[in-house]
Amino acid sequence: MLEALGLASVDELFRDVPKKARIGRIGIGAGRDEPDVVKEVDKLLDRNRPLGKFATFLGGRIAWRYVPAAVDAILSRSEFYTAYTPYQPEASQGMLRALFEFQSLWVELTGLDLANASLYDGATAAGEALLFCRRLHEGGRFLVPASLPWEEKSVLANYATGPGIRLEELPYDPRSGRLDLGAVRAAVAAGDVCGMLADVPNGFGHLDEGVFDLKGILGDVPLVVAADPLSLSVLEPPGAYGADVVVGEGQGFGVAPSYGGPLLGLFACRKEHARQAPGRIVGATVDVDGRPARALTLQTREQHIRRSRAMSNICTNESLMALAFVVYASTVGPRGLAQLQSSLAEKARTLASSLGSIDGLKAPRFDAPYLGEFTIELARGTAAGFLDRLRRRKILGGHPLADPRPGASSGPERILVAATDSVGEKEIQKYAAAARAWSASGAGA
Amino acid sequence: MTFRQARWDEPDIWDLVPPSAPGPAPAIPGLPERFRRKEALRWPELSEPEVVRHYTRLSQMNFGIDTSAYPLGSCTMKFNPKVSEVLARRPGAAALHPYQPEATVQGALELTWRLERLLAKVTGLPEVSLQPSAGAHGEYAALLMVRAYFRDRGESERRTEVLLPDTAHGTNPASATMAGFTTREIPSTDGCVDLAALRSAVGERTACFMLTNPNTAGLFESEILEIAETVHGAGGMLYYDGANLNAILGATHPGRMGFDVAHLNLHKTFATPHGGGGPGAGVLAAGETLAPYLPVPRVVKSGRKFRLDYDRPKSIGKIKTGYGNFGLDVRAYAFALSHGEEGLKHVARRAVLNANYLAARLGKTLPRPFRSLVKHEFLLSGAPLKEKGVRTLDLAKRLLDEGVHAPTVYFPALVEESLMVEMPETESKRELDRYAEAFERAANDSAENLKAAPRSLAVRRIDEVRAAREPILSWKDLRTAAPAKVETP
Repeated sequence: MLEALGLASVDELFRDVPKKARIGRIGIGAGRDEPDVVKEVDKLLDRNRPLGKFATFLGGRIAWRYVPAAVDAILSRSEFYTAYTPYQPEASQGMLRALFEFQSLWVELTGLDLANASLYDGATAAGEALLFCRRLHEGGRFLVPASLPWEEKSVLANYATGPGIRLEELPYDPRSGRLDLGAVRAAVAAGDVCGMLADVPNGFGHLDEGVFDLKGILGDVPLVVAADPLSLSVLEPPGAYGADVVVGEGQGFGVAPSYGGPLLGLFACRKEHARQAPGRIVGATVDVDGRPARALTLQTREQHIRRSRAMSNICTNESLMALAFVVYASTVGPRGLAQLQSSLAEKARTLASSLGSIDGLKAPRFDAPYLGEFTIELARGTAAGFLDRLRRRKILGGHPLADPRPGASSGPERILVAATDSVGEKEIQKYAAAARAWSASGAGA
Repeated sequence: MTFRQARWDEPDIWDLVPPSAPGPAPAIPGLPERFRRKEALRWPELSEPEVVRHYTRLSQMNFGIDTSAYPLGSCTMKFNPKVSEVLARRPGAAALHPYQPEATVQGALELTWRLERLLAKVTGLPEVSLQPSAGAHGEYAALLMVRAYFRDRGESERRTEVLLPDTAHGTNPASATMAGFTTREIPSTDGCVDLAALRSAVGERTACFMLTNPNTAGLFESEILEIAETVHGAGGMLYYDGANLNAILGATHPGRMGFDVAHLNLHKTFATPHGGGGPGAGVLAAGETLAPYLPVPRVVKSGRKFRLDYDRPKSIGKIKTGYGNFGLDVRAYAFALSHGEEGLKHVARRAVLNANYLAARLGKTLPRPFRSLVKHEFLLSGAPLKEKGVRTLDLAKRLLDEGVHAPTVYFPALVEESLMVEMPETESKRELDRYAEAFERAANDSAENLKAAPRSLAVRRIDEVRAAREPILSWKDLRTAAPAKVETP
């Protein structure tokens, strides 16, 4: 090849790099062969204690759930996972058709009209929804429940920075954890609100009947609902109670938690707002023979065409995870999804009643209804201490809700507890026994 | 022409088995009736073999790197090592929850820490965070860091402008706008930043200059040190878009070139699979000035233990749930381990050799703008195709019939009818020669054949205009047969 170029050395191909900008070496170790790489990486991974080693009650937006083997079999098709973005639609009908099915499924779950082909995760999807609201409606304030997980508040605050929007937290009723609708009314009446986000279930894991009244209060101010996809197999779709945007975290449908990524951001909106939507969208069309075909569409919204005036900067999204989402739902089926949600709800109720009578903790902390998750609150000790004690009995008992950043206001010691499909009666009783032991020891008293 | 893609008459999934008549979703004890779904989810009930067959057939109507060369410029579509797929699926990688106690994820934290240290060396920037989900996400976070830095200096009112060359990726101006900056394009001369134009554009309003080097014309910005001096002289920050880092591994790095902050795409340089559009994994690397603003948490080593450190008062906070796309970090770490110092150097040298070799050959078929020495990718102009009444788009479609993917087309815009070709280091000389032959056949084919392409794929030329004019965006739209009404922009 060098000969064809009339060169003596590859070095000559780097003569355009000025001498003063060159480096001698990177300064990393020598390469290794494949068995050695496997050994080295396995050595690290073996230092982890995966979820299967514990009775796991971890939840929040990330789910630990059995994934049918068929899902990974499809994801392992290298025609899918080694492809790039389908910019040449004729060569990429497989992925485009799968993404169209994915979009259709999120539309069915949410009761809205159109979905994009994915965003990074639930939190960034909420961030994009905030910017979307600002495009639809004037205003320098965006309302969120104070119960929203701190990570999502922090991500939203970042997305709010660009347009100079102030994130405003709405208080909740201390007994039910439900949004104080009076406060919503007052906030809207004060004006300058460009949108509001409510989550279903909320950051405490509970369901807030107030969501049915929000659109009536907001009027033409856009309403974003952040919904758990599995819950939508049994819950009324947010489109039916006035949501203008529905976002969510889709990881629980067929994607391993992988220590937090890759995840799957879900986004749906109404068709009249299609031109303001962020992210790629697949549309149906035909080829020259009139055969049905799919292609990326409405691309004038996107960064590669619209540049500084694009609806979003997103380019790479989570297409493979979107594929997992639709393959998972199709394998489990609509009845299977509803059954799974029912079964998780039943386990959560059993756990709550097993913990309910234990001195020193309140389970559930709030009296609103819930599905597979709820919040417990400790009357003494710390959430970290409680969870640590459980961990020594091989139980991952949930995660603390408090913002871990120094300087964040330290609230009550609350833990979000989730029923996962890997726990049964035995694990629930184990949790209750460990909590009773914690209580009896007087820890933190 | 011997290539044929599968052409299944495969229905959409909802047409395989009609979904059952809608009734209410099952009742859940304790759930108020108002919450209960009145009409159960409308989706087909299928058996496992039906689902597997459906998506396997769809997969057979899709190009991937494993089926063919994929020379998309600026996308660095290199082979994805299979061993990485095996490792990322180990329970010790996949079955970890981001909220697990640190004591149970020491290996994950150590792998992250090691990869961050390694990338610090690769970039020459001392502090690294793997939190961003993708390259554009990293750009956006970096610009928020720049904004926070100027806010702390009391300059945020003044420094509101982000400068970028006209060859910049679209994500650069889009990220700048999202982060609240205005943007201003710096023209190129002979494919590189016009230094004089940059000098007259910088000033007290300049927050940042965003640069890709080598740039999207495939050219190394040889005046990079003067560019850095100019931007810093005006008090601005210099941002490195790492999309094209593959070309300079071991030759130079952003730190040595004078950049203050950078993003990398692990799905490019570090060979994590692109998944048909994603996932990616972004990397943020920062010099001392901007490092305090990196997102929290940071992974730190205390003694022999690793932990997540949230005590960074200047941090911009979180930019996603959890800490990065760990599943991809595992793959990237395996790639880096297997390559090592010499291997990574070889990556750049081979990628650059590939580009120059193929450029010299394809340059005989279509004209090449700018100077001949390129780095990892090169531009061609399809303008002469117009003489026979066809365009770059027709050539791209005709290439697909050869069983190879088309280059990036119509970007960057500074070259008429542009094609941007990148054949990373994992492509052999044989593959390059094969691609060149296919390219020559395609470019020299008759106008009739070019316009009729593709003929060998699951579908023929797709009407993309119709898709945009009469948007049908979901099964719901197909059912109602009424195209979505959308406002004209």
